[in-house]
Amino acid sequence: MEESPLHAFELHDLIPLVPAGVDISINKAVILMWVIVGLVAFLMISAAAARKLVPGKLQNMAELIVEFIRGIILDTMGEAGMKYFPLIATLFLFILFANLLGLIPGSYTVTSQIIVTAVFAVGIYGLSLVLGFSLHGMKFLGILVPPGTPGWLLPLMIPIELISQLARPISLAVRLFANMTAGHVILGVLFGLAISGGLLIGWLPFAFTIAMNGLEVGIAFIQAYIFTVLSCVYLGDAVTLHGHSEHAH
Amino acid sequence: MPQFESHFFSSLIFWEVLSFGILFFLLYKYAFPGLLGMLEEREKKIKDSLDQAERHRSEAERRLKEYEAKLATAAKDAEALLAQAKERAQRLMEENEQRMTADAERIKGDATREIETERRKAIQDIRSQTTDLAMMVAEKVVGRALTEGDHRRLADEALDALAKSYQSRN
Repeated sequence: MEESPLHAFELHDLIPLVPAGVDISINKAVILMWVIVGLVAFLMISAAAARKLVPGKLQNMAELIVEFIRGIILDTMGEAGMKYFPLIATLFLFILFANLLGLIPGSYTVTSQIIVTAVFAVGIYGLSLVLGFSLHGMKFLGILVPPGTPGWLLPLMIPIELISQLARPISLAVRLFANMTAGHVILGVLFGLAISGGLLIGWLPFAFTIAMNGLEVGIAFIQAYIFTVLSCVYLGDAVTLHGHSEHAH
Repeated sequence: MPQFESHFFSSLIFWEVLSFGILFFLLYKYAFPGLLGMLEEREKKIKDSLDQAERHRSEAERRLKEYEAKLATAAKDAEALLAQAKERAQRLMEENEQRMTADAERIKGDATREIETERRKAIQDIRSQTTDLAMMVAEKVVGRALTEGDHRRLADEALDALAKSYQSRN
């Protein structure tokens, strides 16, 4: 049986739901989202409920994640960024669990859907714009002029900075989507080879599948981390605006 | 690619926003305050412990310095005391020596004077006894020819001659 390596990304409406003309039918990706919410909420809330000074395994793991995200925020945004900790932490956990759960054979990688990563990316970038304008007003447009730019360079710098700004949400969305898709395509191709190769030669691509799966676990972590760090950087840029307000505080 | 099938976009966006919202709410309400609070509490406890250890250390250091200073003072005091005692002993010894020298000197002088006096007295005694003896002998030899005064004069002369010869011999 020959299968397209992209077969794994296909969605099918399992329960059709079209209230008021909007299609919100339940499919595999939606179910995986529910699983993510349930799993993350259960793990984190039960870890927080323990509240022991000397933590157990679950609390230790949860604290590790919290400490990790706090480190990212403090590095990129400083102490003022801790206000956004719940948002950043939820984002990280959602993406991390989406990436990891997708590696379980037979499940679905939510983050391999471009629309899912795009919603996150546009949401974060949109939030950074809202924060920037509400904190700095029209001065926030200064983000298009890097500090120390001579006046005669402005006609050149502003379009370049504008493009780099617009590239932010796009690159954020595409990076995660492409990494998740590519990893699963490679896994699919290797596994297809293992099936069609038979016992005689098929063990080789099958061994690669196992190795690739290990690599994919690493990539799941790294991509969640990168997405989180870049989100922090974009939010931090908006909050501090060339680091001006950081000096003002 | 199946991911670009726009048929699923509306459903995915809706459920993603809803799921994320629910997860955010749950974690924001029930997980993060506890976890962050726990971390802060532990951080505070560790910091307090370190602070306390630091305080104890500086206290111990201060005490050590204090004791060292006390020890140094005591050593200095002892040294001063020793020096004082030595000086006093030296002075006493010198005084004693002086006094003893003076005593010895005085005793020696006394003894010399006494010896001299005794000697003189002895010589006087010998002389007078010799004179008496000589007179007795002369009386026996010469009879009563010479007077008492003559005897004495003659004896003295003889003795003087004797003494002179004795002195010149020495």
